[in-house]
Amino acid sequence: MKRRNLLRMIGMTAGSAAMYQAMSSLGLASESPYKGPNPLGEAPKGASVLVLGSGIAGMVAAYELRNAGYKVQVLEYNARAGGRNWSLRGGDNYTELGGFTQRCQFDPGLYFNPGPWRLPYHHRGILSYCKKLGVPLEAFNQVNHNAYLHSEKAFGGKPQRFRTIKADYQGHVSELLAKVIQTRKLDEQVSREDQEKLLDSLRQWGALDRNYAYVKGETSSLRRGFAKDPGGGLTGRPVQSEPIALKDVLDSELWMGIPPGEDYERQTTLFQPVGGMGRIGEAFGRDLGPLIRYNAKVVDIRQDDHGVTATFEDTSKSDSPRQTATADWCVCTIPLSVLGQIPMNVGSQMADAIAALPYASSVKVGLQFKRRFWEEDDEIYGGISYTDLPIRNISYPSCDYQSSGKGVLLGAYMWGLDAMEFTSMSPEQRVSKAVEYGSQIHPQYPGEFDNGIAIAWHRSPFALGCFGTWSEEDREKHYDNLCRFDGRIVLAGEHASYVPAWQEGSVTSALDAIGRLQLRAQAAGSQT
Amino acid sequence: MKNMIKHAVCAALLGGLGLVSPPAPADNAKTLQTSDGEQVYQHVCQGCHMSEGQGAVGAGYYPAFAGNPNMASAQYMALTILTGRRNMPSFFEYDSSGDLFWFTRVALSDEQVANVVNYIRSHFGNAYEDRLTAADVKAMHP
Repeated sequence: MKRRNLLRMIGMTAGSAAMYQAMSSLGLASESPYKGPNPLGEAPKGASVLVLGSGIAGMVAAYELRNAGYKVQVLEYNARAGGRNWSLRGGDNYTELGGFTQRCQFDPGLYFNPGPWRLPYHHRGILSYCKKLGVPLEAFNQVNHNAYLHSEKAFGGKPQRFRTIKADYQGHVSELLAKVIQTRKLDEQVSREDQEKLLDSLRQWGALDRNYAYVKGETSSLRRGFAKDPGGGLTGRPVQSEPIALKDVLDSELWMGIPPGEDYERQTTLFQPVGGMGRIGEAFGRDLGPLIRYNAKVVDIRQDDHGVTATFEDTSKSDSPRQTATADWCVCTIPLSVLGQIPMNVGSQMADAIAALPYASSVKVGLQFKRRFWEEDDEIYGGISYTDLPIRNISYPSCDYQSSGKGVLLGAYMWGLDAMEFTSMSPEQRVSKAVEYGSQIHPQYPGEFDNGIAIAWHRSPFALGCFGTWSEEDREKHYDNLCRFDGRIVLAGEHASYVPAWQEGSVTSALDAIGRLQLRAQAAGSQT
Repeated sequence: MKNMIKHAVCAALLGGLGLVSPPAPADNAKTLQTSDGEQVYQHVCQGCHMSEGQGAVGAGYYPAFAGNPNMASAQYMALTILTGRRNMPSFFEYDSSGDLFWFTRVALSDEQVANVVNYIRSHFGNAYEDRLTAADVKAMHP
């Protein structure tokens, strides 16, 4: 078992990528640098800022700069605010690069988040804007002990409950360590007194019996679940369950599904906005109102000693003449996948940094089913099932539990070669394959499937990729140059952060950038 | 073999629904199992450069291969695939066993790179006759 395969299976989210990258770069996992509201103070009289892009970074910048008194205008390529913060609902149309148009056919109230979908409790920046903008939150269920771990190669392809794999892995490991202690093999490392404490803790942690064995019994069944649950009356007698043997647990490799929810970025409590992640972008968009110019495709960015001018095309009108927007300063949040193709007169250091960052491939598929069979049949309420199939994740909605009617789940969230291959398919093929694969975990799929929608991030007309994948070397060489001001232009976004692919990276990078902008503007203002 | 069978089934299914369907990419392969240039193109490259090599334009663009003067140089194309260019990732096959994170680069072998370059340069309106070999690609390793 190669380490990379292990990590590939356990980290199925942008989040873990972000954290591992951050950890490898910083040497440790650090909290978000957000330390609470950071009012800029007053803008110099008459100062203006042009913000390019109305994703989270651009709108945080615009919101704070406007509040400080800057004259702000925002140019946005899409006809909506939010960027990758986005939810698809019934009636929405989406045309990807290549011209494939999908119309979302979900029932009212149901949605799917093609981009970010969860908010860790320690991402205080994005959480604070949810509060300021009145976006209600609810708990996002990451770890569900009754969700599945699945491998085509294990247990004849039969999915296993998370709780049984976790309990059995933990139980067997505890029993082994207890044996090592009892056979006096730790005497040199651990004092006798501590050995007693360790034994006691292992019995509790591993659900061992009084002989420090992990065996079938009430103790282990209370951890891994019963073959027949306890109940009342004459039919209530429980039937204990049989643990899976250590060798079978190890061979299955399903233990790789245990760590994801233990990582800092996915620890309890996680949140989601009620009604879809896109509620944040929508709320920002409402708040900024006419400051945002939609359907504006930036084609050129020029700066001189006096200001910055962006030239743009109105994509809602054919043959409309090019227009310009000018301001003293520019906060540019356009993804580097796009910005690298826009002529802009910045120095070679920033230009080289912009050109250095490849963008990850990722595909997500939202599937609507005629009923919430995962709840009704399988007792799975929210949370995520993990599989080694290309779909990798099935995530059940963390809302509207026990509601009747249809339900939408995340039927695939894929990376790497799987994502590239799915990107190469038509949207209909992606949905069809997601249903086909998912049927191996939930046999109800074919009968209950209603409709679906599939988003391949490399085919997104506005992002041309999912997020910037910094290597340690590239970050060393280019990151600071990417974030430094070049004349009157500063960049912000998840690409300009140590929290790539997370909205918190966008928020903290925007706040960092506008803090420096304010100092520059004040210095420039005092000279005139 | 199993993958091929699944392809056929899938293609038949989609064909029956009247959907326009380019060949469905392989299932489950973590490294692309084919070295055929056309297959490599249809499983990986066409995600961005599209099925007819026509590229695409949105806020940014993916270059088209038809009528693109860069296609004159097989070396330029191979180097682009090996090292990446701007937002396009590198497809260089490297030892990733020490990687800390799970989304390792997608790797193509020298043979796959050579074959897909040759495929692009002889399709989509291109008719270059010189051919790249796996050994040529190997000599260009970054």
